[in-house]
Amino acid sequence: MSTEQHAHHPTPAQYWKIAAFLAAVTAIEVAMFYIDRELGLGFLNAAILILLSAVKFIVVVGWFMHVRFEKPIINRFFAAGFVLACSLYLVVLAALGVVVIRGG
Amino acid sequence: MSDLAASSAGADEVAVAGATAPEPHHDEHESTGIENRKLGMWVFLSSEFLFFGALITNYLLYSNRGGFEGTYPSEIYDIPFTSVSSFVLLMSSLTMVLAHNALSRHDQNGARTWLFATAALGSVFLGGQVFEFYEFIDVYGMTLSTNPAASAFYVLTGFHGAHVAIGVIMLLSLWGISRRQSGLSEKHGLNLELVGLYWHFVDIIWIVIFTVVYLLSVPPS
Repeated sequence: MSTEQHAHHPTPAQYWKIAAFLAAVTAIEVAMFYIDRELGLGFLNAAILILLSAVKFIVVVGWFMHVRFEKPIINRFFAAGFVLACSLYLVVLAALGVVVIRGG
Repeated sequence: MSDLAASSAGADEVAVAGATAPEPHHDEHESTGIENRKLGMWVFLSSEFLFFGALITNYLLYSNRGGFEGTYPSEIYDIPFTSVSSFVLLMSSLTMVLAHNALSRHDQNGARTWLFATAALGSVFLGGQVFEFYEFIDVYGMTLSTNPAASAFYVLTGFHGAHVAIGVIMLLSLWGISRRQSGLSEKHGLNLELVGLYWHFVDIIWIVIFTVVYLLSVPPS
């Protein structure tokens, strides 16, 4: 990786802030698990948890794996594998009659 | 082009052009402008989505399918314990990126320290998984063959754990090289970047597993 590319990378202090954000999102996820047990949020809980994990996923891939700062071809390779896997297995789950997200 | 082929081509050029021939170039770039090994790692990680996708799909198919005897994983998850494990693995991604950052600033001591911290956090996560498996088997009697849900759970989390173990071995290898050679060379710097990509990937797979398998667990119907 060239020095020019590194120039755009976050600083160690920014990495700590990103990690604190990820830890906070994880804490919210765990809190949602217990809130759902008490209130039975059902589909809303599932939607929020999937959204929160998607946020963590994007932050780790974008900032820690530096996809945001890499050449677009890397982004495309990685996204292609992810989209292919999601599409394929969602079709499999749908074909076998499995409801991925279940209401409470 | 492989290193061998590059060396061979370089030798031919020396024979033809004498002292003006370019020095052999070890950082191989194809038309993408990215090191071959780095591009290879990204393609490998991309293919790993299909591997783990199959295991997660398998778990979703069987996790709450009733009609089988024995304990189901969703009945015995210890969410507080797994939450701490998840936090540990998440923080290991921080230490990994700090190791990479330190090396890019030529801070060899910092890189070595953060590498060791990453391996240590990975080992803590693995220890947690071994404890969880031990508890499930010894206390609740849920083995690999208890029911399809248990099998799917152990295969999914077991393969993820195996990936973490391989990552820890690679991290400790780099740490050992850094200690022996008083720092990582440019070549090993790329290795650290590749191991870092692998490590972050293992982390994002756990982000998905933690949500789908643990937090969205549904009791057997």
